[in-house]
Amino acid sequence: MASLAYGPPRRAADPRAVASRAATRQIQESRLARSRWTPLLVPALLLAGWEAGSATGALPASVLPAPVAVLTAGWQLTRDGTLPTNLAISASRALAGLAVGGTLGLLLGIATAISVGLRRLLDPTIQALRSVPPFALLPLIILWLGIDEGAKIALIGWSVFFPLYLNSYHGVRSVDRSLLEMGRVYGMGRTTLFRRVTLPGALPSILVGIRFALGLMWLALIVAETIAASSGIGYMANQAREFSQTDVIVLTIVIYGALGKLTDTATRAAERRLLRWNPAYGER
Amino acid sequence: MAQTASRPLVEQASGGTPIVVSGLVVAFDGPPVIDNLDLVVDPGAFVSIVGRSGCGKSTLLRTIIGLEAPQRGTITVDRDRARIVFQEPRLLPWFDVLTNVVLGAGDLPDARERAAETLALVGLSAKAHEWPTRLSGGQRQRVALARALVSQPRLLLFDEPLGALDALTRIEMQRLIENVWSRQQFTALFVTHDVGEAVMLSDRVVMMDRGRIVSDTDIPAPRPRRHGDAQLATIEGRILDLLLAGGS
Repeated sequence: MASLAYGPPRRAADPRAVASRAATRQIQESRLARSRWTPLLVPALLLAGWEAGSATGALPASVLPAPVAVLTAGWQLTRDGTLPTNLAISASRALAGLAVGGTLGLLLGIATAISVGLRRLLDPTIQALRSVPPFALLPLIILWLGIDEGAKIALIGWSVFFPLYLNSYHGVRSVDRSLLEMGRVYGMGRTTLFRRVTLPGALPSILVGIRFALGLMWLALIVAETIAASSGIGYMANQAREFSQTDVIVLTIVIYGALGKLTDTATRAAERRLLRWNPAYGER
Repeated sequence: MAQTASRPLVEQASGGTPIVVSGLVVAFDGPPVIDNLDLVVDPGAFVSIVGRSGCGKSTLLRTIIGLEAPQRGTITVDRDRARIVFQEPRLLPWFDVLTNVVLGAGDLPDARERAAETLALVGLSAKAHEWPTRLSGGQRQRVALARALVSQPRLLLFDEPLGALDALTRIEMQRLIENVWSRQQFTALFVTHDVGEAVMLSDRVVMMDRGRIVSDTDIPAPRPRRHGDAQLATIEGRILDLLLAGGS
């Protein structure tokens, strides 16, 4: 599964390089390269095709309802309070799981990177546990914790733990040793050294971990809510399936997508802000 | 906020502290890198150490500042008032220029005012709020020098600080270093592989080979010195001959 790979993100192409390449080509291509509407072109065409298909009857509503029908369903569910309530429940589950698993992963990753003793004590076990797919734990989690909130938070927490553990561990281990040496020789104590050198140096890697964790957080939430829940977006989708309400099913898919996009955008903004010293991220 | 104009914090001379190294042996799993070395540096003197790569000159500096542990021998030095400038600037890229200089001030009061003044001393006041990554190599090394100077050290160790700079920037940096040294009168121990640079800057040039001191030359020429001075060129030639003879 692609989303389970924790490697570094692909860098965006250098805009100057793109611009100069486009300039050497024909004019209509450089207009495509320059316009700010270009990224919206393909989604707009897909949406238009979808709407046209529904209007002509080529796409029956039982297979895929019209975009307007999805919007209407969204509006109705918002007005009667169903959507806001379930959305809030889903979001709080996701965030609770992230808070528990993410914090644990972050702290253990940093601790095992700094302390050789802790590393030898914990890292082999954590690496072994990492090879267990989170969803393989689901039967056991349900058996232990039932289908309560605890089970869902445990599944989400387990999923987000590993990317944060691995990336914060890697980040701390790869901090430039010459900077640590400089800090020591300039009289920084352990705490100051950690705060001023180790943590900022590990931050790019930690943020990569957070981005992977957020992706896995939504994935785990969907699985948890689809299999066992009596509230939340996943529950709405399940209910809709029972009553063949394709408009609500499509609505929940769109909402999951929007939530993923939202958290990804937020982390990118945080990266630009926190790593503005780094020419690879900065905007100045 | 201190009145920086009426009460300069970094201008007054701090004076130098001596270094006494005796019977020093440093080894890392193998033959000693420093082999029974004795060296006395007078307070306030500017002493350079030259030698081929691997002769132990950097290790000597790192041992004096406490980054390497000696196997044998003693080093008498006031490390609390000692600072080092490395070959790479080693600035923290996530802090702006001024904050990087402040880091050198330790627990001193008025650290930010001191840092601002020291930055002015190296001619980089205008870059105080830039990111280090946006500076040129020479500017970064000047920030590193300011970070070393801000605490008013009594001993300043230089580990080939100009090795990575272009020729013109090197000359500018040499003048800057000589200038602050003559004003603040700290002891300077300057490691370089450039004999001309060593002769230009120093009261005394010490040559190392295989962990030992093989020659020790006083440079009596008056200051300020000029590049291309005939007396300095003669001394440089003599030391270079020794260096080339020793390696073959």
